[in-house]
Amino acid sequence: MIKKISILFVVSILTVSVFGQFVGKDDLSVALFYLQKNELDSAKKYIDLSSTDVVLKGVAKTWYYRGYIYKELYKKNDKENKTSAFRVISIESFKKMLKINDRSDFAQSAAKILRYEASTLYNDAVRMLDPENYKTAESNYALFRATMLLVDVEVNMKAKDIQFKLALATMLNRPLDGMSEVDSVHTYHVKRICGEVLFIDPNNPSANYNLGILYYNEAAEIINNMDYDMDIMTLGAVEDHCIEIFLNSLPFMKKSYELGYKRRETLIGLSNIYYGLNELEKFEAYKKELQDLEKEE
Amino acid sequence: MKKNAFILVSLLILNTGFKIGVDTNSKMKAIFIMNFTKLSDWPQPYREGDFIVGVIGESPLYSELTKMAKTKKVANQSLQVKKFNTISDIDKCHILYVSQNKSREISAVVDMVRPYSTLIITEKEGLVEKGAGINFIIKNNRQKFELNKKNVEKYKLKVSSNLEALAFTVK
Repeated sequence: MIKKISILFVVSILTVSVFGQFVGKDDLSVALFYLQKNELDSAKKYIDLSSTDVVLKGVAKTWYYRGYIYKELYKKNDKENKTSAFRVISIESFKKMLKINDRSDFAQSAAKILRYEASTLYNDAVRMLDPENYKTAESNYALFRATMLLVDVEVNMKAKDIQFKLALATMLNRPLDGMSEVDSVHTYHVKRICGEVLFIDPNNPSANYNLGILYYNEAAEIINNMDYDMDIMTLGAVEDHCIEIFLNSLPFMKKSYELGYKRRETLIGLSNIYYGLNELEKFEAYKKELQDLEKEE
Repeated sequence: MKKNAFILVSLLILNTGFKIGVDTNSKMKAIFIMNFTKLSDWPQPYREGDFIVGVIGESPLYSELTKMAKTKKVANQSLQVKKFNTISDIDKCHILYVSQNKSREISAVVDMVRPYSTLIITEKEGLVEKGAGINFIIKNNRQKFELNKKNVEKYKLKVSSNLEALAFTVK
């Protein structure tokens, strides 16, 4: 009995000594106390409470430390998780901090952490460029991009955007294991991505060339799959559709030609497109140019 | 970081290949020809044995028709595609396709098929006036055909009103 009373007494003393020091202190201070002790789970609990507190949620410091604590949680527990919620919450918290006051004492430190988090997002995006994970790669890249712009609104992301998009398109443009042709859903995405690259840089040779071929292939595939028993009325409708696709293909392949990209393949492309369009004079002209080029080589 | 740079570089060679083996123009023509077989009537003796489509001269259509013949029939008749290198090689056939490089010899072709019930198909403007029953033309990038009913009927062939309706012009 005496032993039990002693244990209860010790527990009571310890409880008072731990929580007693927090009397009158706000949740942010408690969070910082635990952060100093490297007790991240407790720090997280109190910083989350701070972020919903009527007064503290309007203070830049609250959001800075929330971003900091969540960054530490990511580094300590979740670094291998390429979709870590800790990292996302950290970035969102810094974003809120910058919105409240982007000239605060914490801004410089926040920018440094954000750059670090952006680099982890970029690395994860690149590592996930495979057929199973490319959607996550895209969302990680989008967050990387947004984070970089958070740090510096004037940063030029064009080159990086094009590089990532073309890498993604290249990966998607390969047949899956055991398949002889590229998956049609992937082809759709490759087209979309090439279009996005051209939105950034209309003179990108690779995107122009590949988009030209992708459109050509779409029409060629439709024609190739047509049944010989198709009636003439239906044939006319399918032909209209294919002509439209060949016409979509043409400006991209012409641009590739103007840019002098992959001379030989572009000439094959142009002659094929004009053949599909039944413009046989132009088909012959590009075919001849191709033959002349091959003679030179 | 080096590993990532390697991944990116290895993924920067976006190179789409062409759908090879697709002759878009010939496929369209082959489908048209299949339709002509359904919308035309040959005399009774021609409804037995193989249905023969001859091709005179060089044309990519020959290989497309050969491909079609592997899977398709005309009514109950097996489809057979024959290639004639010279005018004098021309033999009895249901359809004779005169390729571009033999267009100038249309009169000689007409003479050769005179004893037969043959539908002469050409691909050069003006040849329906020179003996062809059907001539492929291009209008607004589309494959169309002209029909000369007289040139068809003089070989004892009948064309359905549907084929007439589908022709770009009927003479």
